[in-house]
Amino acid sequence: MVQHTYIFGASVRGPLHRSEGRPNEDAWLHARGPFGTLAVVCDGLGSRPNARAGARAGCAAVKEAVSRWSKADDAPLSYLSHLVEVLWRLRLHPTPPDSAATTCLLALATINGRCIVGGVGDGLALVRTGADLRVIVGDRGEDFANETKGLGASTGPRAWTLAEFPPTDAERVAVLATDGVADDLLPERLDGFCDWLIESFEPLPPRERHCRLAAELRAWPTPGHLDDKTLAVVHSPPPVHEEST
Amino acid sequence: MGWAKYQEDIVSRWVNDNHARRARRADTTPTQRKGTAVPKQEKHMSKLKEFTMSSARPLPVIVLADVSGSMSANGKIDALNDAVSEMIATFAEEDDTRAEIHVSVIAFGGGGASIHKPLRPARETRWEPMSAAGRTPMGEAFELARTMVEDRDTVPSRAYRPTLVLVSDGVPTDDWRAPLATLLTSERASKATRFAMGIGADSDRETLTAFLANDEGRVFEAHEAREIKNFFRWVTMSVTTRSRSANPNSVVMVEPTDLDEFDF
Repeated sequence: MVQHTYIFGASVRGPLHRSEGRPNEDAWLHARGPFGTLAVVCDGLGSRPNARAGARAGCAAVKEAVSRWSKADDAPLSYLSHLVEVLWRLRLHPTPPDSAATTCLLALATINGRCIVGGVGDGLALVRTGADLRVIVGDRGEDFANETKGLGASTGPRAWTLAEFPPTDAERVAVLATDGVADDLLPERLDGFCDWLIESFEPLPPRERHCRLAAELRAWPTPGHLDDKTLAVVHSPPPVHEEST
Repeated sequence: MGWAKYQEDIVSRWVNDNHARRARRADTTPTQRKGTAVPKQEKHMSKLKEFTMSSARPLPVIVLADVSGSMSANGKIDALNDAVSEMIATFAEEDDTRAEIHVSVIAFGGGGASIHKPLRPARETRWEPMSAAGRTPMGEAFELARTMVEDRDTVPSRAYRPTLVLVSDGVPTDDWRAPLATLLTSERASKATRFAMGIGADSDRETLTAFLANDEGRVFEAHEAREIKNFFRWVTMSVTTRSRSANPNSVVMVEPTDLDEFDF
Protein backbone atom coordinates (compact mmCIF):
# COMPACT_ATOMS: atom_id res chain seq x y z
CA MET A 1 0.00 0.00 0.00
CA VAL A 2 1.46 3.36 -1.03
CA GLN A 3 0.17 6.63 0.37
CA HIS A 4 1.59 10.05 -0.30
CA THR A 5 0.68 12.88 2.02
CA TYR A 6 0.55 16.40 0.61
CA ILE A 7 1.30 19.34 2.85
CA PHE A 8 1.11 23.03 2.06
CA GLY A 9 0.22 26.34 3.66
CA ALA A 10 0.92 30.05 3.89
CA SER A 11 1.00 32.86 6.42
CA VAL A 12 0.48 36.57 5.74
CA ARG A 13 0.50 39.73 7.81
CA GLY A 14 -2.94 41.24 8.47
CA PRO A 15 -4.04 44.85 7.83
CA LEU A 16 -3.66 45.77 11.52
CA HIS A 17 0.02 44.82 11.69
CA ARG A 18 0.65 46.34 8.26
CA SER A 19 -0.79 49.66 9.42
CA GLU A 20 1.21 49.55 12.66
CA GLY A 21 4.43 48.48 10.94
CA ARG A 22 4.59 45.33 13.06
CA PRO A 23 5.65 41.92 11.76
CA ASN A 24 3.48 38.87 11.23
CA GLU A 25 2.81 37.37 14.67
CA ASP A 26 1.49 34.12 13.23
CA ALA A 27 3.91 31.30 12.44
CA TRP A 28 3.58 27.96 10.70
CA LEU A 29 5.84 25.00 10.08
CA HIS A 30 5.70 21.85 8.00
CA ALA A 31 8.02 18.90 8.40
CA ARG A 32 8.47 15.34 7.27
CA GLY A 33 10.44 12.76 9.20
CA PRO A 34 10.34 9.33 10.78
CA PHE A 35 7.22 10.48 12.62
CA GLY A 36 5.32 11.17 9.38
CA THR A 37 4.04 14.49 8.06
CA LEU A 38 3.50 17.39 10.46
CA ALA A 39 1.92 20.83 10.17
CA VAL A 40 1.88 23.38 12.99
CA VAL A 41 0.11 26.75 13.11
CA CYS A 42 0.63 29.26 15.94
CA ASP A 43 -0.91 32.69 16.52
CA GLY A 44 0.98 34.91 18.98
CA LEU A 45 -1.46 36.80 21.18
CA GLY A 46 -1.43 40.37 19.92
CA SER A 47 -1.47 41.97 23.33
CA ARG A 48 1.78 40.26 24.41
CA PRO A 49 5.15 41.92 23.70
CA ASN A 50 6.94 38.72 22.61
CA ALA A 51 4.04 37.25 20.63
CA ARG A 52 6.09 36.69 17.47
CA ALA A 53 8.86 34.86 19.33
CA GLY A 54 6.24 32.83 21.18
CA ALA A 55 4.54 31.72 17.96
CA ARG A 56 7.83 30.69 16.35
CA ALA A 57 8.94 28.86 19.48
CA GLY A 58 5.56 27.12 19.52
CA CYS A 59 6.08 25.69 16.04
CA ALA A 60 9.62 24.52 16.85
CA ALA A 61 8.54 23.03 20.19
CA VAL A 62 5.78 20.98 18.53
CA LYS A 63 8.21 19.57 15.97
CA GLU A 64 10.68 18.60 18.67
CA ALA A 65 7.93 17.16 20.87
CA VAL A 66 6.43 15.09 18.04
CA SER A 67 9.85 13.76 17.11
CA ARG A 68 10.47 12.53 20.67
CA TRP A 69 6.89 11.43 21.41
CA SER A 70 6.60 9.33 18.24
CA LYS A 71 9.62 7.22 19.23
CA ALA A 72 7.72 5.75 22.17
CA ASP A 73 5.18 3.17 21.00
CA ASP A 74 1.62 3.88 22.11
CA ALA A 75 2.60 6.85 24.25
CA PRO A 76 -0.53 8.67 25.53
CA LEU A 77 -1.58 11.81 23.67
CA SER A 78 -1.42 13.76 26.91
CA TYR A 79 2.37 13.23 26.96
CA LEU A 80 2.56 15.13 23.68
CA SER A 81 0.78 18.21 25.02
CA HIS A 82 2.86 18.11 28.21
CA LEU A 83 6.05 17.90 26.13
CA VAL A 84 5.05 20.85 23.96
CA GLU A 85 4.27 22.98 27.01
CA VAL A 86 7.68 22.22 28.59
CA LEU A 87 9.75 22.49 25.40
CA TRP A 88 8.06 25.77 24.47
CA ARG A 89 8.96 27.25 27.85
CA LEU A 90 12.53 25.94 27.57
CA ARG A 91 12.95 27.51 24.13
CA LEU A 92 11.74 30.85 25.44
CA HIS A 93 13.58 30.84 28.76
CA PRO A 94 14.31 33.33 30.35
CA THR A 95 11.50 35.19 28.56
CA PRO A 96 8.37 35.02 30.75
CA PRO A 97 5.86 32.66 29.09
CA ASP A 98 2.91 35.02 29.56
CA SER A 99 4.73 37.72 27.57
CA ALA A 100 4.97 35.34 24.58
CA ALA A 101 1.60 33.60 24.80
CA THR A 102 0.47 31.92 21.60
CA THR A 103 -2.20 29.58 20.31
CA CYS A 104 -0.87 26.28 18.97
CA LEU A 105 -2.53 23.88 16.53
CA LEU A 106 -1.01 20.74 15.00
CA ALA A 107 -1.89 18.05 12.48
CA LEU A 108 0.24 14.91 12.28
CA ALA A 109 -0.20 12.14 9.70
CA THR A 110 1.93 9.29 11.03
CA ILE A 111 3.75 6.87 8.75
CA ASN A 112 1.40 4.06 9.77
CA GLY A 113 -1.67 6.05 8.70
CA ARG A 114 -2.88 7.46 12.00
CA CYS A 115 -3.84 11.12 12.23
CA ILE A 116 -3.50 13.37 15.29
CA VAL A 117 -5.09 16.79 15.23
CA GLY A 118 -5.78 19.45 17.85
CA GLY A 119 -4.12 22.05 20.01
CA VAL A 120 -4.79 24.87 22.41
CA GLY A 121 -6.46 28.23 21.77
CA ASP A 122 -8.73 29.58 19.08
CA GLY A 123 -8.59 29.16 15.32
CA LEU A 124 -9.64 26.05 13.45
CA ALA A 125 -8.39 22.46 13.41
CA LEU A 126 -10.57 20.06 11.45
CA VAL A 127 -10.27 16.57 10.04
CA ARG A 128 -12.32 15.13 7.20
CA THR A 129 -12.13 11.39 6.69
CA GLY A 130 -14.12 10.42 3.63
CA ALA A 131 -17.32 12.44 4.08
CA ASP A 132 -17.05 12.64 7.88
CA LEU A 133 -15.94 16.17 8.85
CA ARG A 134 -15.03 16.84 12.47
CA VAL A 135 -14.01 20.15 13.98
CA ILE A 136 -11.53 19.46 16.78
CA VAL A 137 -10.72 23.09 17.63
CA GLY A 138 -13.09 25.83 16.54
CA ASP A 139 -15.53 26.66 19.31
CA ARG A 140 -14.65 29.85 21.18
CA GLY A 141 -16.83 28.88 24.12
CA GLU A 142 -17.74 31.98 26.09
CA ASP A 143 -15.05 34.18 24.53
CA PHE A 144 -15.58 37.03 22.09
CA ALA A 145 -13.35 37.91 19.13
CA ASN A 146 -9.63 38.14 19.95
CA GLU A 147 -10.01 36.47 23.35
CA THR A 148 -8.42 33.07 23.71
CA LYS A 149 -6.35 30.56 25.63
CA GLY A 150 -2.93 29.38 24.52
CA LEU A 151 0.58 28.38 25.49
CA GLY A 152 1.44 30.79 28.31
CA ALA A 153 -2.18 31.94 28.61
CA SER A 154 -4.05 28.97 30.04
CA THR A 155 -4.01 26.32 32.69
CA GLY A 156 -1.36 24.28 30.85
CA PRO A 157 -1.84 20.88 29.18
CA ARG A 158 -5.41 20.56 30.55
CA ALA A 159 -6.50 23.29 28.12
CA TRP A 160 -5.43 21.15 25.14
CA THR A 161 -7.78 19.25 22.85
CA LEU A 162 -6.15 16.47 20.84
CA ALA A 163 -7.95 13.81 18.81
CA GLU A 164 -6.51 10.66 17.25
CA PHE A 165 -7.92 8.97 14.16
CA PRO A 166 -7.03 5.39 13.13
CA PRO A 167 -5.58 4.42 9.74
CA THR A 168 -8.13 4.44 6.94
CA ASP A 169 -8.47 3.61 3.26
CA ALA A 170 -10.54 6.74 2.76
CA GLU A 171 -9.23 10.16 1.73
CA ARG A 172 -8.26 12.24 4.76
CA VAL A 173 -7.58 15.97 5.02
CA ALA A 174 -6.66 18.07 8.05
CA VAL A 175 -6.93 21.86 7.91
CA LEU A 176 -5.38 24.22 10.46
CA ALA A 177 -6.09 27.96 10.52
CA THR A 178 -5.51 30.89 12.85
CA ASP A 179 -8.50 32.96 13.97
CA GLY A 180 -7.90 35.54 11.24
CA VAL A 181 -9.10 32.87 8.82
CA ALA A 182 -11.27 30.69 11.05
CA ASP A 183 -13.55 33.41 12.47
CA ASP A 184 -14.67 34.49 9.01
CA LEU A 185 -15.36 31.01 7.57
CA LEU A 186 -18.99 29.96 7.14
CA PRO A 187 -19.43 26.88 9.36
CA GLU A 188 -21.79 25.25 6.87
CA ARG A 189 -19.25 25.64 4.02
CA LEU A 190 -16.22 24.01 5.68
CA ASP A 191 -16.65 20.96 3.48
CA GLY A 192 -16.51 23.06 0.32
CA PHE A 193 -13.61 25.04 1.73
CA CYS A 194 -11.58 21.82 2.12
CA ASP A 195 -12.42 20.79 -1.45
CA TRP A 196 -11.46 24.22 -2.76
CA LEU A 197 -8.08 24.10 -1.01
CA ILE A 198 -7.28 20.64 -2.35
CA GLU A 199 -8.50 21.23 -5.90
CA SER A 200 -7.12 24.74 -6.33
CA PHE A 201 -3.71 24.50 -4.70
CA GLU A 202 -2.55 20.91 -4.36
CA PRO A 203 -1.83 20.35 -8.08
CA LEU A 204 0.35 23.48 -8.31
CA PRO A 205 4.16 23.48 -8.08
CA PRO A 206 5.19 24.30 -4.48
CA ARG A 207 6.46 27.82 -5.13
CA GLU A 208 3.43 28.84 -7.18
CA ARG A 209 1.12 27.14 -4.67
CA HIS A 210 2.55 29.17 -1.81
CA CYS A 211 2.33 32.42 -3.77
CA ARG A 212 -1.26 31.77 -4.85
CA LEU A 213 -2.40 30.79 -1.38
CA ALA A 214 -0.69 33.80 0.20
CA ALA A 215 -2.33 36.04 -2.41
CA GLU A 216 -5.74 34.64 -1.49
CA LEU A 217 -5.09 35.30 2.19
CA ARG A 218 -3.93 38.87 1.48
CA ALA A 219 -7.07 39.54 -0.56
CA TRP A 220 -9.30 38.19 2.21
CA PRO A 221 -12.89 39.04 1.20
CA THR A 222 -14.56 39.66 4.59
CA PRO A 223 -14.94 43.43 5.18
CA GLY A 224 -13.05 44.96 8.09
CA HIS A 225 -10.72 42.01 8.65
CA LEU A 226 -7.65 42.81 10.76
CA ASP A 227 -5.74 39.73 11.86
CA ASP A 228 -2.71 37.95 10.47
CA LYS A 229 -3.82 34.90 8.50
CA THR A 230 -2.29 31.46 8.42
CA LEU A 231 -3.53 28.27 6.85
CA ALA A 232 -2.03 24.78 6.59
CA VAL A 233 -3.36 21.66 4.88
CA VAL A 234 -2.30 18.04 5.35
CA HIS A 235 -3.95 15.84 2.73
CA SER A 236 -3.70 12.07 2.36
CA PRO A 237 -5.50 10.85 -0.78
CA PRO A 238 -6.84 7.28 -0.71
CA PRO A 239 -3.88 4.85 -0.65
CA VAL A 240 -2.94 3.14 -3.90
CA HIS A 241 -2.73 -0.64 -3.60
CA GLU A 242 0.19 -1.86 -5.73
CA GLU A 243 -0.54 -4.94 -7.75
CA SER A 244 1.88 -7.80 -7.14
CA THR A 245 3.59 -9.13 -10.25
CA MET B 1 7.91 43.66 -38.08
CA GLY B 2 7.33 44.47 -34.41
CA TRP B 3 7.90 42.45 -31.26
CA ALA B 4 5.21 39.92 -30.33
CA LYS B 5 3.20 41.07 -27.39
CA TYR B 6 3.06 39.07 -24.14
CA GLN B 7 0.84 35.97 -24.49
CA GLU B 8 0.38 36.61 -28.19
CA ASP B 9 0.27 33.54 -30.35
CA ILE B 10 3.63 33.96 -32.10
CA VAL B 11 3.20 31.01 -34.45
CA SER B 12 -0.11 32.38 -35.70
CA ARG B 13 1.52 35.73 -36.20
CA TRP B 14 4.15 34.24 -38.44
CA VAL B 15 1.64 32.38 -40.58
CA ASN B 16 -0.71 35.33 -40.58
CA ASP B 17 -3.38 33.31 -38.83
CA ASN B 18 -5.53 35.42 -36.54
CA HIS B 19 -7.73 32.58 -35.33
CA ALA B 20 -6.37 32.59 -31.77
CA ARG B 21 -6.67 36.32 -31.47
CA ARG B 22 -10.26 36.25 -32.77
CA ALA B 23 -11.14 33.55 -30.23
CA ARG B 24 -9.76 35.67 -27.43
CA ARG B 25 -11.73 38.68 -28.60
CA ALA B 26 -14.92 36.65 -28.80
CA ASP B 27 -14.54 35.84 -25.08
CA THR B 28 -14.50 39.48 -24.10
CA THR B 29 -17.61 41.59 -23.55
CA PRO B 30 -18.50 44.46 -25.91
CA THR B 31 -17.58 46.94 -23.17
CA GLN B 32 -14.12 45.44 -22.86
CA ARG B 33 -13.66 45.55 -26.64
CA LYS B 34 -14.24 49.29 -26.54
CA GLY B 35 -11.13 49.54 -24.44
CA THR B 36 -12.65 49.86 -20.98
CA ALA B 37 -10.23 48.48 -18.40
CA VAL B 38 -11.31 45.23 -16.80
CA PRO B 39 -11.49 45.59 -13.02
CA LYS B 40 -8.66 43.69 -11.39
CA GLN B 41 -11.03 41.62 -9.24
CA GLU B 42 -12.93 40.39 -12.28
CA LYS B 43 -9.77 39.12 -13.95
CA HIS B 44 -9.30 36.55 -11.17
CA MET B 45 -12.54 35.72 -9.41
CA SER B 46 -11.60 33.79 -6.32
CA LYS B 47 -14.03 31.23 -4.99
CA LEU B 48 -12.96 32.12 -1.47
CA LYS B 49 -15.95 34.45 -1.13
CA GLU B 50 -18.25 31.44 -1.22
CA PHE B 51 -16.79 30.16 2.04
CA THR B 52 -16.40 33.35 4.06
CA MET B 53 -18.65 35.79 5.92
CA SER B 54 -19.76 38.73 3.84
CA SER B 55 -20.05 41.17 6.74
CA ALA B 56 -17.59 42.62 9.22
CA ARG B 57 -17.54 41.35 12.79
CA PRO B 58 -20.50 42.68 14.75
CA LEU B 59 -20.10 45.21 17.55
CA PRO B 60 -23.37 44.88 19.53
CA VAL B 61 -24.92 47.84 21.37
CA ILE B 62 -27.89 46.97 23.61
CA VAL B 63 -29.93 49.82 25.13
CA LEU B 64 -32.00 49.11 28.25
CA ALA B 65 -34.56 51.92 28.16
CA ASP B 66 -36.88 52.85 31.02
CA VAL B 67 -40.37 53.45 29.56
CA SER B 68 -42.23 53.62 32.88
CA GLY B 69 -45.07 56.12 33.36
CA SER B 70 -42.79 58.75 34.92
CA MET B 71 -40.86 59.01 31.64
CA SER B 72 -43.88 60.66 30.04
CA ALA B 73 -43.37 63.77 32.20
CA ASN B 74 -41.37 66.79 31.01
CA GLY B 75 -40.83 65.37 27.52
CA LYS B 76 -38.37 62.72 28.74
CA ILE B 77 -39.71 59.87 26.59
CA ASP B 78 -39.71 62.10 23.51
CA ALA B 79 -36.13 63.15 24.18
CA LEU B 80 -35.13 59.50 24.70
CA ASN B 81 -36.81 58.45 21.43
CA ASP B 82 -35.06 61.24 19.55
CA ALA B 83 -31.68 60.43 21.12
CA VAL B 84 -31.84 56.69 20.38
CA SER B 85 -33.09 57.37 16.86
CA GLU B 86 -30.20 59.79 16.26
CA MET B 87 -27.70 57.28 17.66
CA ILE B 88 -28.95 54.51 15.34
CA ALA B 89 -28.83 56.88 12.36
CA THR B 90 -25.23 57.82 13.19
CA PHE B 91 -24.25 54.17 13.52
CA ALA B 92 -25.94 53.42 10.19
CA GLU B 93 -23.85 56.09 8.47
CA GLU B 94 -20.57 54.60 9.72
CA ASP B 95 -18.98 53.04 6.67
CA ASP B 96 -15.23 53.12 7.22
CA THR B 97 -15.22 50.80 10.19
CA ARG B 98 -13.52 47.65 11.36
CA ALA B 99 -16.79 46.38 12.79
CA GLU B 100 -20.46 46.48 11.88
CA ILE B 101 -22.46 48.11 14.68
CA HIS B 102 -25.58 46.15 15.65
CA VAL B 103 -28.25 47.72 17.86
CA SER B 104 -31.00 46.34 20.07
CA VAL B 105 -33.37 48.20 22.40
CA ILE B 106 -34.94 46.53 25.44
CA ALA B 107 -37.81 48.60 26.82
CA PHE B 108 -38.91 48.08 30.41
CA GLY B 109 -42.18 49.61 31.66
CA GLY B 110 -45.92 48.86 31.63
CA GLY B 111 -46.29 45.15 31.01
CA GLY B 112 -42.68 44.20 31.82
CA ALA B 113 -39.47 44.15 29.82
CA SER B 114 -39.62 43.40 26.11
CA ILE B 115 -37.37 43.60 23.07
CA HIS B 116 -38.47 46.79 21.33
CA LYS B 117 -35.86 46.31 18.60
CA PRO B 118 -34.07 42.99 18.08
CA LEU B 119 -30.29 42.96 17.59
CA ARG B 120 -29.73 43.88 13.94
CA PRO B 121 -27.21 45.95 11.96
CA ALA B 122 -27.90 49.63 12.60
CA ARG B 123 -28.29 50.28 8.87
CA GLU B 124 -31.16 47.77 8.78
CA THR B 125 -32.91 49.15 11.88
CA ARG B 126 -35.95 51.40 11.38
CA TRP B 127 -36.73 53.26 14.58
CA GLU B 128 -40.25 53.23 16.01
CA PRO B 129 -40.84 55.50 19.03
CA MET B 130 -41.49 53.95 22.43
CA SER B 131 -44.37 55.07 24.65
CA ALA B 132 -44.21 55.42 28.43
CA ALA B 133 -46.55 53.74 30.92
CA GLY B 134 -46.63 51.66 34.10
CA ARG B 135 -43.90 50.55 36.51
CA THR B 136 -40.10 50.08 36.31
CA PRO B 137 -39.32 46.34 35.97
CA MET B 138 -35.55 46.82 35.62
CA GLY B 139 -34.72 43.33 36.89
CA GLU B 140 -36.59 41.83 33.94
CA ALA B 141 -34.57 44.02 31.59
CA PHE B 142 -31.28 42.79 33.13
CA GLU B 143 -32.40 39.21 32.63
CA LEU B 144 -33.43 39.86 29.03
CA ALA B 145 -30.09 41.55 28.26
CA ARG B 146 -28.14 38.68 29.81
CA THR B 147 -30.13 36.11 27.82
CA MET B 148 -29.47 38.05 24.62
CA VAL B 149 -25.70 38.33 25.15
CA GLU B 150 -25.32 34.72 26.29
CA ASP B 151 -27.18 33.45 23.19
CA ARG B 152 -24.44 32.69 20.66
CA ASP B 153 -26.90 32.70 17.77
CA THR B 154 -27.77 36.30 18.60
CA VAL B 155 -24.29 37.49 19.59
CA PRO B 156 -21.84 35.18 17.77
CA SER B 157 -18.38 34.39 19.07
CA ARG B 158 -16.80 36.39 16.25
CA ALA B 159 -18.49 39.53 17.64
CA TYR B 160 -16.52 42.12 19.55
CA ARG B 161 -17.39 42.72 23.18
CA PRO B 162 -20.91 44.18 23.45
CA THR B 163 -21.89 47.53 24.95
CA LEU B 164 -24.81 47.75 27.39
CA VAL B 165 -26.48 51.14 27.96
CA LEU B 166 -28.92 51.59 30.88
CA VAL B 167 -31.23 54.60 31.00
CA SER B 168 -33.69 55.12 33.88
CA ASP B 169 -35.50 57.89 35.73
CA GLY B 170 -36.73 55.96 38.77
CA VAL B 171 -36.38 53.21 41.32
CA PRO B 172 -36.86 49.61 40.10
CA THR B 173 -40.21 48.14 41.08
CA ASP B 174 -39.12 44.49 40.86
CA ASP B 175 -36.30 42.45 42.35
CA TRP B 176 -33.31 43.74 40.38
CA ARG B 177 -30.43 42.59 42.60
CA ALA B 178 -30.48 38.88 41.70
CA PRO B 179 -30.82 39.42 37.90
CA LEU B 180 -28.07 42.07 37.99
CA ALA B 181 -25.78 39.77 40.00
CA THR B 182 -26.40 37.01 37.42
CA LEU B 183 -25.64 39.40 34.57
CA LEU B 184 -22.44 40.65 36.20
CA THR B 185 -21.15 37.13 36.86
CA SER B 186 -22.26 35.48 33.62
CA GLU B 187 -19.51 34.31 31.27
CA ARG B 188 -20.19 36.68 28.38
CA ALA B 189 -22.42 39.51 29.62
CA SER B 190 -19.93 40.27 32.40
CA LYS B 191 -17.38 41.25 29.72
CA ALA B 192 -19.66 43.93 28.22
CA THR B 193 -18.76 47.61 28.36
CA ARG B 194 -21.46 49.37 30.38
CA PHE B 195 -22.85 52.92 30.37
CA ALA B 196 -25.55 54.27 32.71
CA MET B 197 -27.64 57.44 32.82
CA GLY B 198 -30.03 58.60 35.52
CA ILE B 199 -32.70 61.08 34.44
CA GLY B 200 -33.95 63.59 36.99
CA ALA B 201 -33.68 63.74 40.77
CA ASP B 202 -35.75 60.58 41.31
CA SER B 203 -33.35 58.22 39.49
CA ASP B 204 -31.89 55.47 41.64
CA ARG B 205 -28.15 56.11 41.74
CA GLU B 206 -27.48 52.94 43.72
CA THR B 207 -28.90 50.71 40.96
CA LEU B 208 -27.12 52.57 38.20
CA THR B 209 -23.79 52.47 40.03
CA ALA B 210 -24.26 48.74 40.76
CA PHE B 211 -24.92 48.20 37.03
CA LEU B 212 -21.58 49.78 36.11
CA ALA B 213 -19.79 47.63 38.76
CA ASN B 214 -16.64 49.59 38.08
CA ASP B 215 -14.89 51.95 40.48
CA GLU B 216 -13.86 54.16 37.58
CA GLY B 217 -17.28 54.08 35.93
CA ARG B 218 -19.46 57.15 36.24
CA VAL B 219 -23.20 57.52 36.12
CA PHE B 220 -24.21 60.26 33.71
CA GLU B 221 -26.89 62.50 35.23
CA ALA B 222 -29.42 64.25 33.05
CA HIS B 223 -31.31 66.99 34.82
CA GLU B 224 -33.29 68.01 31.81
CA ALA B 225 -34.50 66.33 28.65
CA ARG B 226 -31.86 67.80 26.32
CA GLU B 227 -29.10 66.19 28.38
CA ILE B 228 -30.44 62.78 27.37
CA LYS B 229 -29.24 63.56 23.85
CA ASN B 230 -25.81 64.57 25.18
CA PHE B 231 -25.47 61.21 26.90
CA PHE B 232 -26.34 59.28 23.76
CA ARG B 233 -23.88 61.38 21.76
CA TRP B 234 -21.23 60.35 24.29
CA VAL B 235 -22.22 56.70 23.88
CA THR B 236 -22.25 57.10 20.10
CA MET B 237 -18.76 58.65 20.09
CA SER B 238 -17.38 55.91 22.32
CA VAL B 239 -18.83 53.14 20.14
CA THR B 240 -17.83 54.66 16.80
CA THR B 241 -14.33 55.37 18.12
CA ARG B 242 -14.10 51.69 19.03
CA SER B 243 -15.43 50.54 15.67
CA ARG B 244 -12.86 52.67 13.83
CA SER B 245 -9.97 51.74 16.11
CA ALA B 246 -7.26 49.27 15.18
CA ASN B 247 -8.64 46.80 17.69
CA PRO B 248 -12.40 47.23 18.23
CA ASN B 249 -12.22 44.87 21.21
CA SER B 250 -10.31 47.45 23.19
CA VAL B 251 -12.55 49.56 25.40
CA VAL B 252 -12.50 53.19 24.36
CA MET B 253 -14.14 55.52 26.86
CA VAL B 254 -14.40 58.94 25.29
CA GLU B 255 -14.44 61.56 28.01
CA PRO B 256 -17.79 63.38 28.12
CA THR B 257 -15.83 66.65 28.11
CA ASP B 258 -14.75 65.83 24.55
CA LEU B 259 -18.30 66.67 23.57
CA ASP B 260 -17.72 70.33 24.39
CA GLU B 261 -16.57 70.92 20.85
CA PHE B 262 -19.97 69.82 19.57
CA ASP B 263 -22.73 72.31 19.10
CA PHE B 264 -25.74 71.17 21.12
